[in-house]
Amino acid sequence: MTPRGSPGKPGRGRHAALLLAAGAALAAFLGADYALGQLALVATFAIAGLGVVLIVGQAGQISLGQGALLALGAYTQGLLVRHGVPAALSLPLAIAVAAAGGWLASLPAHRLGGLYFAMSTLAFALIVEEVLVRWRTLTGGAAGLGVPALVIGPFTADSAAAQALVSTLALALAWWACQRWVDSRLGRAWRAVRADEDAAAACGIDRVRVKRAAFILGGGLSGLAGALYAHWIGFLSPEQFGLLLSFELLMLAFIGGVRHLAGALWGALVIVAIPQSIAVLRDLLPADLANTAGLELLLFGVVLVAVVRWRPQGLAGS
Amino acid sequence: MQSVLQVLASGLAIGCVYGLVALSFVLIYKATATVSFMQGELLMLGAFAVLALNAGAGWPLALAVPVGLAGMVALGAGLERSILRRALGQPHLTAVLLTFGIGLVLRGAVATIPAASQSMHRLALPFGEEPLRLGHLAVAPAHAAVILATVAVAVALTLFFRHTRVGLALRACAEDARAAALMGVPVAAMHTLAWALGAGLAAFAGLLLAPITFVHLGMGLVALKAFPAAVLGGLTSLPGALAAGIFLGLAEALAGLVLPEGIKDLVPYLLLMAALFLCPQGLGSAFGRLRG
Repeated sequence: MTPRGSPGKPGRGRHAALLLAAGAALAAFLGADYALGQLALVATFAIAGLGVVLIVGQAGQISLGQGALLALGAYTQGLLVRHGVPAALSLPLAIAVAAAGGWLASLPAHRLGGLYFAMSTLAFALIVEEVLVRWRTLTGGAAGLGVPALVIGPFTADSAAAQALVSTLALALAWWACQRWVDSRLGRAWRAVRADEDAAAACGIDRVRVKRAAFILGGGLSGLAGALYAHWIGFLSPEQFGLLLSFELLMLAFIGGVRHLAGALWGALVIVAIPQSIAVLRDLLPADLANTAGLELLLFGVVLVAVVRWRPQGLAGS
Repeated sequence: MQSVLQVLASGLAIGCVYGLVALSFVLIYKATATVSFMQGELLMLGAFAVLALNAGAGWPLALAVPVGLAGMVALGAGLERSILRRALGQPHLTAVLLTFGIGLVLRGAVATIPAASQSMHRLALPFGEEPLRLGHLAVAPAHAAVILATVAVAVALTLFFRHTRVGLALRACAEDARAAALMGVPVAAMHTLAWALGAGLAAFAGLLLAPITFVHLGMGLVALKAFPAAVLGGLTSLPGALAAGIFLGLAEALAGLVLPEGIKDLVPYLLLMAALFLCPQGLGSAFGRLRG
């Protein structure tokens, strides 16, 4: 675990080639529409994963509330679009609300840092989940809320191809922004805080400001991912955004490699693939075992433990 | 007044459960500096283990309870030996993910047993149903049992830490592992012991909770209230964790009385956020100042 220079640079061509090959194989194997739909999900999760990479991988802080930030983005977008607000206005608002959520979730722990970030973001996530369930008049409560297709000007993203295109473009944009932040003064300050907070403070880095920036930017990315997710799924309910989602996003970053931007992409692939592979496994298992939801949790837990235990630097890590 | 006392009595009982889980969390955190995110699953598993032995295998409760709890203690020790030891000295997040993952495995494993996942179960603990009368106050026997058992655990833990060599060694290890090791304390064994005790405590809390909420897959969610309790108690104080758990239980009960429906469950988390915000130096030091 040596501190590295700018992440995301080495081997980017290799990553891209591998991804393309994997995508082509999937498309050939499962049909183009299905593959494109999955690609849209992978790209969307990767955007949320970038948020985790900034907070956890770059700034070295803990966030257990990313799922709730995704929920803030998704519900903001869903509610605004339902009331006829155009996407050009609602998307920035969804990003802003989630960024504000990131700021609020981390606010109580700014001076304490460390484990207290885990506690405050966890509390924030549980509060958000509870409010989504209880505030029925706004969110539809546990029954959920339908979201219409994404409309940008004359263009309606209602086919798998269009959704994949929009998510990939959004991911490219988010990636470019992250790359700029990581290579900037701010990125260097994040890595300094990650390596040794006291030393960073002694060098004149304002640690509180730097951590706050990580949570705000990470929150904004989650908001963008949430807003897109709302459209792709077309339906929002509070239980989609429970604690498990927060941990899925953490796991996503960890599987991919939390120190690299590319880690978000690899992790998103694995996270989207797990339920799919379970669906395939189900057909092979004896019937009485295969119908239980416990299996998915079990596999998820095993993958999580195995990754943390044997490959803590992730797939993208060297 | 009558109804307030009534509500406070049940709040006290639930608070004792929060406190016990927070106690198990803090015990592990103090001794090993790792954060356990699976206390809720251990709680649920403890209740299910006793239920399986009692209702499933037909053992009498007097045998099922000690054997079930001993099994959970052994599980805690085994997990520490095999997996959790790797999280030592790693960043907090590693332990968080690792324990959460193990928790998922435990919950998934219980969920794959059809009998466990499909319904709520009664664990018939021998308290009877007749409420205890204390003057005008009626206390459900299950609640009274929780409160009494919590007092007993608190006394037992105090005696253990103050008056036994092992308890002293565990405290030394929590205070300064390196110094303890140099003084001949077997630190690795102490870590195993801390996890075993933590698992046993959580399982015991599950057993006490069983007559109140029934035994079901989701009963581990109670443990999420243990995090605010642990933080409010200062994260490294065992009495603090227990007291904060009881305080949260009472605060929730009162909130249920006076605030609109649905706010009640948010109270612990709102208190946690407020406490962190108001005591930026950390709660431990805030209490330290109060004590002078």
